[in-house]
Amino acid sequence: MACHGMPHSFIGQKGGDVNGETDLHARSQCHLWAVLAPEASDLQKEEIKMNEYDVLEILKRKLRDGTLTRREFLQAAGMFGIGTLGAAYLAGCAPAPAATPVPPKPAEPTKPPAPAATAIPVPPTAPALSGSLRFLVAESFWSDWHPYMTTAASLGRIGYNIWDRLILIESDSYSDFKPGLALEWKRLDQLTLEMKLRQGVKFHEGQDFTADDVKASIELASGATPIETLSRTTWVPTTVEIVDKYTVRLKTKTPFAPLLAMLSTTAIIRAGEDGDTLKKRPNGTGPFKLVKDEKDIKTMEGIPNYWLKGQPKLKTMVHEFVQDAQTRLNALLAGQADVIDRVPPEHWATIKANANLVLEMKTRLENVNMWMRQDAKPPFNNYKLRQAFAWCIDREAMVKNLLGGSSVVAKSFIPNLCNYFVEQQPVYTYNPDKALEAVKAAGFASIKDVPVVPISVTTGFLPRSVECVQYIIDNFQKVGFKTTLKTSDVAGMVDDLFSKADPKPGFMFHLSWGNGTGDPHSSLATLFRSPGAWAAPSDTKLDEMIDKGVQTVDPTERAKVYKDLQAYLWEQMPHIPLNNSDVATGYNKKVKGLILLGVGRQLFNNTSVD
Amino acid sequence: MGNYFIRRIFQMVFVIWGVVTVTFLIIRIVPGDPARLMEPPGTPEESIQVIRTRLGTDKPIPQQYVEYLANLTRGDLGKPFRGGTSVTEVIAAKLPNTLKLGLVSIIVATTIGSLLGVIAALRQNSLIDKGVLVFVALALATPNFWLAVMLVLIFAIQLHWLPAIDMAGPESYVLPVTALAIVLLPLIVRTVRQSFTEALTEDFVRAARARGLSERRVIFLHVMKVAAIPLVTLVGIQAGFVLGGSLVVESIFNWPGVGNYTLNAIQARDYPMVQGCVLVIASIFVVVNFLVDMTYAFLDPRIKF
Repeated sequence: MACHGMPHSFIGQKGGDVNGETDLHARSQCHLWAVLAPEASDLQKEEIKMNEYDVLEILKRKLRDGTLTRREFLQAAGMFGIGTLGAAYLAGCAPAPAATPVPPKPAEPTKPPAPAATAIPVPPTAPALSGSLRFLVAESFWSDWHPYMTTAASLGRIGYNIWDRLILIESDSYSDFKPGLALEWKRLDQLTLEMKLRQGVKFHEGQDFTADDVKASIELASGATPIETLSRTTWVPTTVEIVDKYTVRLKTKTPFAPLLAMLSTTAIIRAGEDGDTLKKRPNGTGPFKLVKDEKDIKTMEGIPNYWLKGQPKLKTMVHEFVQDAQTRLNALLAGQADVIDRVPPEHWATIKANANLVLEMKTRLENVNMWMRQDAKPPFNNYKLRQAFAWCIDREAMVKNLLGGSSVVAKSFIPNLCNYFVEQQPVYTYNPDKALEAVKAAGFASIKDVPVVPISVTTGFLPRSVECVQYIIDNFQKVGFKTTLKTSDVAGMVDDLFSKADPKPGFMFHLSWGNGTGDPHSSLATLFRSPGAWAAPSDTKLDEMIDKGVQTVDPTERAKVYKDLQAYLWEQMPHIPLNNSDVATGYNKKVKGLILLGVGRQLFNNTSVD
Repeated sequence: MGNYFIRRIFQMVFVIWGVVTVTFLIIRIVPGDPARLMEPPGTPEESIQVIRTRLGTDKPIPQQYVEYLANLTRGDLGKPFRGGTSVTEVIAAKLPNTLKLGLVSIIVATTIGSLLGVIAALRQNSLIDKGVLVFVALALATPNFWLAVMLVLIFAIQLHWLPAIDMAGPESYVLPVTALAIVLLPLIVRTVRQSFTEALTEDFVRAARARGLSERRVIFLHVMKVAAIPLVTLVGIQAGFVLGGSLVVESIFNWPGVGNYTLNAIQARDYPMVQGCVLVIASIFVVVNFLVDMTYAFLDPRIKF
């Protein structure tokens, strides 16, 4: 349909948003149907919700068919509150039939033939949900459903489908905040953010989403209530003032620069649900709702009346835990899975060689490091010695020859794609001379005086972790360090790290730390703000810089803070950043619209299966 | 017979108790704190201690052991550390799938193995006999996990004849049963061949032939019964191999059984789940062997308890 002069946001929006407005809720849908298309079936009336576009389309057809005059058209449009738009629509359209009725011919019908039964002017609508997708994941669903208490990545990922956030990030540009359950927001002062909320949104169990839910969610997640949550470790206490049913003001206890980033990852729960209820079942406003909860299989169904028109597309989505990577690959190759998670490097060629499959890789916002427990004990309490180890590792060769894909050498203590990332100098690489120099600067007469360093690596978690650590140990030993290697599963290594017994000094291990928001706060605060387990316990300078980074709201000033902070960390080298890992997902070509984010999650809102 | 029965019951209980005790100790000696695994690294020790108290792992090991045994006598296998309301419920949901796979594998292996063994015995030193022995040697040398992967590659991925994973429909049994059965076959074939060959030289066979019985009747009515006695023993032992081998096969085929679940529970240090799964598997093995022993009396009237 070509209509000149119409705003583009209106044209072509078939049953979708019109200038940001949703269906005509203010008018009864029954009333609309009764007036405009009484011939429509009950099913059509039940399932199809009209908006302004739909109404004008129907009026236009009636005008063209001669069952409506231009005056009647405008009156009808006005009756439904779209008078101005209707007038513009009318003005831009091809001329309507003559306003004055044609004199009747007695021998002939005065009206044009009634349209055939199939030609009922049904307004365009979003396509029905269809298709089923099976996603095999690498991590078990070991936690409960409490969105502020779980650290299980598998459940966190499902959570993005079940709960909405106030703000959305749907690309790898982590400052590109889009409206979610909040339509718009503005800073009132250093501590206060006012948000207008989306109306007409419902929880899966039928309740309306309102400001009360935002208050309950943010205050619980941020630690503004006495109830303990895990999420509070990355927030500052934030109270929520309810201005009206759809307007809130978030007030942080101290200036909190990552506020928008945190709002993009904090699920909005229903007010009044206690901890036990939250643990047992999820009730969100998201595009999918959980319909079957089994130990290793989570089945979700798409919400037909989701607030974002055109989404979701899938009728059913199943996330299933399959531990073995080969089994996941077999399922994909045999057509029994549509998407598989964490494809290891040894399987990349197989997927790429298959014409029906896609291997998508993204550099992940995750640093893989050689960690050093510091504990103010020798030998790692001396930053020069830590630098010496950093000068032993040929990270480029390791990434190129052992990892490949989208892995890249880490160039700072925050992932390369993170906001405020600054590439650091010097670039640590394999340089025995500099390593030995640093050893001497650390106060050792020779490298032989450095104690034996036990090194630990896990199997079955990070790809090629054992090979990488063996390569690193080879580098260390070539320079002259003495090391031992212990291989264990994740449970064993975590136990060694944090066992009740005093951890061994000089204990080095290979592990990663992800960033789920794109804000440096997520990478740095939990790891380095004392009294954390990872930083030197008395580094007050680091604490001050971290606090400043969190509290500096102005982006330009914040960039300066993080520039200095990264440089300081690079000098102090609390651990050795090796690489940013990659997230490799394999899927069938019939899967369309799957978005893979560098924070390590897949977005299924717009996904369909042919 | 009554005394033997009671004696065997005591033996079974003792064996199961031994398995339970060893598993209980090993899973706690192996590094890995289940409480710590539930929280991100760096979580304060106080928070971890709260979890340990909830899980019961902060108690002294002897106390945990006594409480566990006491609960066992009441039929309570405990509550998994990670999800689920009770270990019994979880196992009850998974066990039938493992049993189905195991039973079908044993039946297929026994049937085919017996057939091949009988044919080899009746055609000793012929080309058929040699062919069977070569097949047995190959099957013996083949690791079942490798075989499982190869079967999936060929029949599921290349040919798309059969599913690669899941337990859904009769066709989904073909590949995992093949992987398990081929491992069981060698011993069955050789045992049947050997015992059949020996039985064929016995006087009662000569006597049966002399009385004019058909060869088929001699073999299937008289010889089979005697040759089956070691086979029955073998089936009992093979039940153990099948249950143990199912851990790997279930993982490869994503079979929703106890084996697959046990592997995951070990990684997660889910003590009650590991203990429960091992207890059930051991109990099945012990009971199967008991039933096997009881079957002897039926097969050979000379055997009395």
